[in-house]
Amino acid sequence: MLTVLLVDDDPEFTEVACTIIEFLGHDILTAANLAEAREWLTKETFDHILLDFMLPDGSGVHLFDELDALPKRPKVTLITGHPSVRGIIKGLCGPNIDYLVKPIQREDIEAALTGKKEKPNSGGPRIKKYFGHLIGESAPMKELYKLIERVSRTSANVMLLGESGVGKEVVAESIHAASDVTGPYIATNCGAFSKELIGSELFGHEKGAFTGAVNRKEGVFEQAESGTLFLDEITEMPIDMQPNLLRVLENKVVIRVGGTKTIPVNCRVVSATNRKMEEIAESKVLREDIYFRLAVFPITIPPLRERKEDIPLLASQFITDFNQENGTRFEWEETQLDNLMTYDWPGNVRELRHFVHRAGIMSDPDKTDIELPKTIESPFAKKQSTSPALEAGRTIEDVEKELIYATLEKVNGNKTLAAEMLGISTKTLYNRLHAYGDLSKDES
Amino acid sequence: MKDEEIGAIARWVHDARKPLNRISMQAELVKMALNGDIPAEKAQDALDKIIASTKDCSHALAEMMEELANGKTE
Repeated sequence: MLTVLLVDDDPEFTEVACTIIEFLGHDILTAANLAEAREWLTKETFDHILLDFMLPDGSGVHLFDELDALPKRPKVTLITGHPSVRGIIKGLCGPNIDYLVKPIQREDIEAALTGKKEKPNSGGPRIKKYFGHLIGESAPMKELYKLIERVSRTSANVMLLGESGVGKEVVAESIHAASDVTGPYIATNCGAFSKELIGSELFGHEKGAFTGAVNRKEGVFEQAESGTLFLDEITEMPIDMQPNLLRVLENKVVIRVGGTKTIPVNCRVVSATNRKMEEIAESKVLREDIYFRLAVFPITIPPLRERKEDIPLLASQFITDFNQENGTRFEWEETQLDNLMTYDWPGNVRELRHFVHRAGIMSDPDKTDIELPKTIESPFAKKQSTSPALEAGRTIEDVEKELIYATLEKVNGNKTLAAEMLGISTKTLYNRLHAYGDLSKDES
Repeated sequence: MKDEEIGAIARWVHDARKPLNRISMQAELVKMALNGDIPAEKAQDALDKIIASTKDCSHALAEMMEELANGKTE
């Protein structure tokens, strides 16, 4: 987090810039002229100053002497209304000064504050984000976009089904973004609360409703008024709490815990579960009446392995995000993206994102090459090699060894079966394993 | 074109760029609101300000034309 001083005489501009800079996570103070700026400099220490070139009481350049005298000289970015001023500034202040030319965009400010020269997305084609959130051009995703668009025009409750990590929350946000609603998007996880607290989380409580309820609290249904309420892991909600939820869904009113007044609620409920529909029905984790209230419009989100062609897009977006956050310039190589596509990603997009993030951390920040670990490992999946299976120059022994291990893994270590699949005798297989030093004597 | 005319135009252009800068920043706010980063009602406000700024900009340009036509460069 940086402490930033913005010196500009246009109050509308400073107001908006403040909102944006605060959103970027920095502290910001403003001054409308040189005099105010000087006053701030005596009171506060700043990391960065965004300084308009033309101010009512003189040029921003006049501040430079004072800045030099400070114990800690803040970084300065000059804002000019005129591209040609650039040359003059360089002459006045040397080449080490940063400048922004109006009209300014959010990315410009971000880049100036983080000290990055290039605008993000300047290299390579921009990846389209559907509804501002979703990435993917594959057929299953196109189908999903169609469903989101259809349902967003209605106020129907949506239930999202899909494996862990497919992006249920992202889809919920997309539905909210696509809907023409005025209220906010509120998300909560039904699995994260104890039986005692979930009532208060969902419906709110009155002061003194239970020990520790020192203040009145609005529940998420109230918070999401005229907006979208996302209930994640709905199937983890204690079954004896479900009648309360049903009442809210049917009557469209909530009563806070410990309260008596009914409060009308009006929001779309998007719920999500990683269980399959049949499983929900069989295991009785969700009451049938609740299911039909919530799943007016069920949407199944495809797992990543069913849309592998989207992996390069996602991996590129994740590395771009990583670069933006860390000021690096990593780039994928075509073959690396191909390798990522051969993996099944049982943890879906979340696993891919973490994998890319980890690779980014492991790579040399001064280079553009991304170093991938030799294998993609997940406690939830079997090991898979990231090195191409067949590549010119690898020895036959190497490939053979890999093939033998891959086969053994496939048959859970059953050597007779593996030998049969490989078309060699069990004896040969044992001999090979011996040679790799992988068998103790008594086993052979 | 005389030097003073160019000077005057530079000043007008500077005035016209101010509303453009506001428009650019307000548009960023709308983007943030659509993203859900800030409350949605801020977008409405920002869009109103964008419309106001386009009028400012148009006004500044009209004024410039008028002054130039009158040959009143100062």
